[in-house]
Amino acid sequence: MTLRPTSPGRDLKVRYLYLGGAMLAGLVVLAVNLYRLQIIQGDEYLAKSQENFIKPIRVRADRGMIKDRRGEILADSRPSFDAFVTPAFCQRCVAEVLPRLATYLQWDEVQQARIEAQVKGTRGPARFQPISVRVDLTRDELDVLNAHPDELPGVDLVPVPHRNYRSGAQLAHVLGYMNEVTQDELDSLNSKGGGYALGDYAGRRGIERYFESRLRGQDGLRKEVVNARGESMRDDQGLIGGSDEVPPKPGKNVVLSIDSRLQAEAERVFPGVAGTVVALDVRTGFILAMMSRPSFDPNVLTGRVSAAQMTAMAKDPLQPMMFRSVAMHYSPGSTFKPITMLAALKSGQFNAHSFVNCTGGYRLGSRVWRCWADRGHGIRDSRQALQSSCDTFFYHVGDVLGLDPIAEMGKALGLGSPTGIGVVGEVPGIMPDVAYHDRATPGGYQKGMALNSAIGQGDDNVTPLQLTLAYAAIANGGTLYQPQLVRRIESVDGKVLEEFQPKVTRQIPIAAEHRALVVDALTAVVNEAGGTATRVRLKDILLAGKTGTAQVQRIGAVREKKEDMDYFERDHAWFAAFAPADDPEIAVVVLNEHAGHGGVESAPTAAAVVQKYFDLKKADASASVVPAVRPPPPVEGPPEKPTEKLPAPGDDAKRKLAAGQPPPDPGEVR
Amino acid sequence: MEIGIQKRMLPHVPWALLFACLTVASIGIWNLASASRPPHSPVWTSQLVYLGVGLAAMTAVALVDYRFIQRAAVPIYLINIALLLALKVMGHRAKGAESWLVIGPFRMQPAEFMKLGMILMLAKFFHDDYRPNVTGYGFLRLIPPTLLAIVPIVIVLIEPELGTSLMMLFTAATMLVFARVRWWVVAVIGVGALVAALVIWNDWVREQSEPRATVVRHFMKKHQEDRISAWLDPTADLRGKNYHSIQSKIAVGSGGLSGKGWMKGTQTGLFFLPEQHTDFIFSVWAEEHGFTACLLLLVLYGAVFLTSLGVAFNARDRFGAFVAAGVAAMIFWQVFENIGMVTGLLPVTGITLPLMSYGGSSMVSVFLGIGLLVNISMRRHIF
Repeated sequence: MTLRPTSPGRDLKVRYLYLGGAMLAGLVVLAVNLYRLQIIQGDEYLAKSQENFIKPIRVRADRGMIKDRRGEILADSRPSFDAFVTPAFCQRCVAEVLPRLATYLQWDEVQQARIEAQVKGTRGPARFQPISVRVDLTRDELDVLNAHPDELPGVDLVPVPHRNYRSGAQLAHVLGYMNEVTQDELDSLNSKGGGYALGDYAGRRGIERYFESRLRGQDGLRKEVVNARGESMRDDQGLIGGSDEVPPKPGKNVVLSIDSRLQAEAERVFPGVAGTVVALDVRTGFILAMMSRPSFDPNVLTGRVSAAQMTAMAKDPLQPMMFRSVAMHYSPGSTFKPITMLAALKSGQFNAHSFVNCTGGYRLGSRVWRCWADRGHGIRDSRQALQSSCDTFFYHVGDVLGLDPIAEMGKALGLGSPTGIGVVGEVPGIMPDVAYHDRATPGGYQKGMALNSAIGQGDDNVTPLQLTLAYAAIANGGTLYQPQLVRRIESVDGKVLEEFQPKVTRQIPIAAEHRALVVDALTAVVNEAGGTATRVRLKDILLAGKTGTAQVQRIGAVREKKEDMDYFERDHAWFAAFAPADDPEIAVVVLNEHAGHGGVESAPTAAAVVQKYFDLKKADASASVVPAVRPPPPVEGPPEKPTEKLPAPGDDAKRKLAAGQPPPDPGEVR
Repeated sequence: MEIGIQKRMLPHVPWALLFACLTVASIGIWNLASASRPPHSPVWTSQLVYLGVGLAAMTAVALVDYRFIQRAAVPIYLINIALLLALKVMGHRAKGAESWLVIGPFRMQPAEFMKLGMILMLAKFFHDDYRPNVTGYGFLRLIPPTLLAIVPIVIVLIEPELGTSLMMLFTAATMLVFARVRWWVVAVIGVGALVAALVIWNDWVREQSEPRATVVRHFMKKHQEDRISAWLDPTADLRGKNYHSIQSKIAVGSGGLSGKGWMKGTQTGLFFLPEQHTDFIFSVWAEEHGFTACLLLLVLYGAVFLTSLGVAFNARDRFGAFVAAGVAAMIFWQVFENIGMVTGLLPVTGITLPLMSYGGSSMVSVFLGIGLLVNISMRRHIF
């Protein structure tokens, strides 16, 4: 080879070596890097590639049902579809997909903006989290969305069982409702191993909240092959390999002590716009019915409740979300008088023969405390005073005893402290004593306060449930139960997992003859002439009870007629009862807010509930295929129930009933 | 002008180079068949056509005596620049860049051909500028070739085709260094690289309060600066601008030693790799065939580089030597940058993998370069 001047000189020759060497070095760098990625980190990247396409899909556990004591379903799940958007798979999401969804689902602008912000706001791995954009699609919405799958990338229609409350608003306060967990709640829920994800529902209030962990069950897991657009693919190549499923564990069923038939009856007969009915088994403390009006529909709150509906509910002066049986307290009025009477008898300063001459009021110092009977009751002994609800007698008791003995009896019967029902939120109520007034009232305790408290006014405040328990304790001879709503937890196939036994809060030492006198007087309230509730006498059930007309407003010299008063200033109508008086089974308290006279506005409701209870008992016994109501298990608390030893109360009234005497005139009720 | 082939040229056809190139191209089509499996359209059939067109172009270029090409270098250079400028007027936008020129049924990327035009121009310059008695290029003598390179590079850059302009920059730099520059010029380039690193550190890495004092970042288009950001911090945004980089690393890494099998790549099959048949074709190969097959491919590319340099080594004149070295550098830088970006070593720039990536312009321009090499090799004894 010859070199000419223009031909490449030898000067270039050595540079080919450098150039070739540099290129080979470059290839070596690439090879080393490939070695690092494929050989050293190969397994790691293989795992990542599987994470890419293996989408773990939660298989939701069926939520347990809530049943009444006879197994009737109160809350279960029905099939429905929710719409979700997964930002990572939603191409041109904000520009195209969301506007389309907005049209199909008829979102308003606020809603659309909120979801847009949510989609835009997600970053990183959160983009793979589906965002719930609509729960419980209607049939039409489902059809429309199903018809346009190509227009809606990243939009999934997921079958999600939706909670169904069969009796609507009827038991809403007890059952509660469900709604979506918030981002803030997630951490605390999942720290207890809840396995919640955004878009999940959790129980709110009542049974749904209290038994959330047992109703919820445990979600399972299924694996699916997806492509980069999130579309599910057939696993032709066995990419998943191995077991791909963890089956879900269904939630447990909660069986209540509520009898839905009795609940429905209470709902049906209660005449007021606001108030509550509580019925419980005096032998166990299990609640049979607990109605609170006004109520709300948990199906609405669990589904898509609109902002307007929420506002309307929040602004309703009657506060439908308020569970009046436990979460509000009221002056018990005259329904407190049996407690004052027990305190009076216990003190030894009063007995069956104590009497007061009622002239229409009671003078203490310079002030006169008026009896509701303006012209006075005349001579009244203890039994008569309770039967006719003579205020003067009880003013006298207050004057003689002072406040503390009355408060002591009230507290012993559970007033002024929470009942421990647990399932629903409750207020403790107030049972004022001297120390309370010294602490809370300007000027401290004055004697007049004892007079007020003795007739259930003043600062006395009880929840309807507390009053029911106190009456139940009087009825059963002195056992104060902790109220319970749930009888047992069952597995999905009906196996009993946990059975709740009656729980005794305390035994109250009430002398048998004191109890007998009070029960006798309460029986006379309903069944003897001169009683305040004779209009609700039942034909073959011996009902004992006490009316109450609790003043909401301090009453001036002239008593106004109910119709002339503003609704929220009208008296509360109470009736507290138990039956049968000679062998009590059920205690019922009815509170009809701002309705006026207890004997007129509440007693008929209580009587109807009691009647229904015994009708049902009779019907169930004659049906008696399987005893639907389990016999109450042996109670450990008060095994020696003193019922047999007691003098049978109300014998007198029974005799009169048998003799076919016409019921006495109701007269003015109180 | 001399067209045709004489019998005495045949022994000097670089058969090894042709064999290596055709092997890579065949592997590429087989690989494309997997990358474009249903439901993608089967573009490997089009690639087969492009390969045919490329081979025809190669043959045509090989037949024309390269001394004619040498004389035509200036017009070729100018025509390419004109085509690039024409893009500005009638370009077709794709992926945020105007890089397609549509003439009737044909779509071409002038930038691909500009690379060759620049190589020819620089080779002609260095051929003409040869001074046997001067030991190396000083600063002043480097100005004209630098300008010749910079003009098309800048036009391509504002197109904007950051990747291609970078490739042209590296190719031109390689040719300049090959032409033998003084040591202090190398020093200046080194300082330049250092400055560039500092600029990147200042504009992207350093924590700054708003308004940010940046040097070049605010001149860049969004997709360009994003790519640099993503390269610097690959975990910042899983499905955003960085998605390519992470998914392609996952694809390559998950291939392991022996790969998942042809048509069985999950990253490929389930669409986790965007542009898997063009810029990211290597990840398909790596995922489905593993480390051993990647090494085989690197060996084949190594063979292409070395045989190309062999052509340069044996070239008859400086023009041929520079063209051959330039073509070798062009292919090398593209392979290096492309595989580097697919494996997460380098930032993602829109660069095709020569002979593997789907695309007519890329295929034809590579084979035009190979044609030049064949041409130079064949004619090393005829004058």
